[in-house]
Amino acid sequence: MNKVKLLFFATIRDRAGMKSLEIEIPETMTVQELKDKISTDYPNLKQSMESVLISVNKEYAFDEAVLPPNAEVALFPPVSGG
Amino acid sequence: MASLPTIFSITESELDLNDLLAQITLPSTGAAAIFTGMVRGETLRHGSAQAPRDGPHETAYLEYEAYVPMAEAKMKQVADEIRAKWPSVEGIAIVQRIGKLYPRTPTVLIACTAAHRDTGVFEAARYGIDRLKEIVPIWKKEFGPNGEFWVEGEYIPKPGE
Repeated sequence: MNKVKLLFFATIRDRAGMKSLEIEIPETMTVQELKDKISTDYPNLKQSMESVLISVNKEYAFDEAVLPPNAEVALFPPVSGG
Repeated sequence: MASLPTIFSITESELDLNDLLAQITLPSTGAAAIFTGMVRGETLRHGSAQAPRDGPHETAYLEYEAYVPMAEAKMKQVADEIRAKWPSVEGIAIVQRIGKLYPRTPTVLIACTAAHRDTGVFEAARYGIDRLKEIVPIWKKEFGPNGEFWVEGEYIPKPGE
């Protein structure tokens, strides 16, 4: 098993009702598989997973990327700074 | 190159525009292009489907948040991109204020300095604010008489960004 720390921001944090969460995942899991798992385990977040941006260890990550051990994974909507 | 001043930060403190400009001013710089954005108290444009609005609407305040370590790393990346595109730019400052910010309050500063104005400094500062709005993980929630809603961007980063 592998462990990842999830961080939620903005709309996604509001819908999740929490800022962060540690979860156990299989040894090999892609970003897409993680999104699928979150959609299943947290129905509140299912809709958010369709347009979510994901970073892994502070770099943008895409569906095919494999999560490294103990990754810090952030989930958030398109950014709106300025 | 290594000694050229590059400032990038997320702060909860008031932006001191003079101080930031002083920090990127060198004996060799004779020009600075400074962009700063501030909170609007009233907005004329129409809203999104998420927050339908009819004509002007009022904003009481905005609440900004950031994923700070990633935001600062992405600001550094924006500064690196500016240096690659405009090698004559000398100092760069990219600063975003977060927290609860009221109308007329400066929220962001992008400033570039160079020897003189015909070096691309204007374009460099413009590029800096455009990129910040695309890839730096910061979000804002608007609070007004009609409630509160998140302002969401549209840009989807591509691999390598």
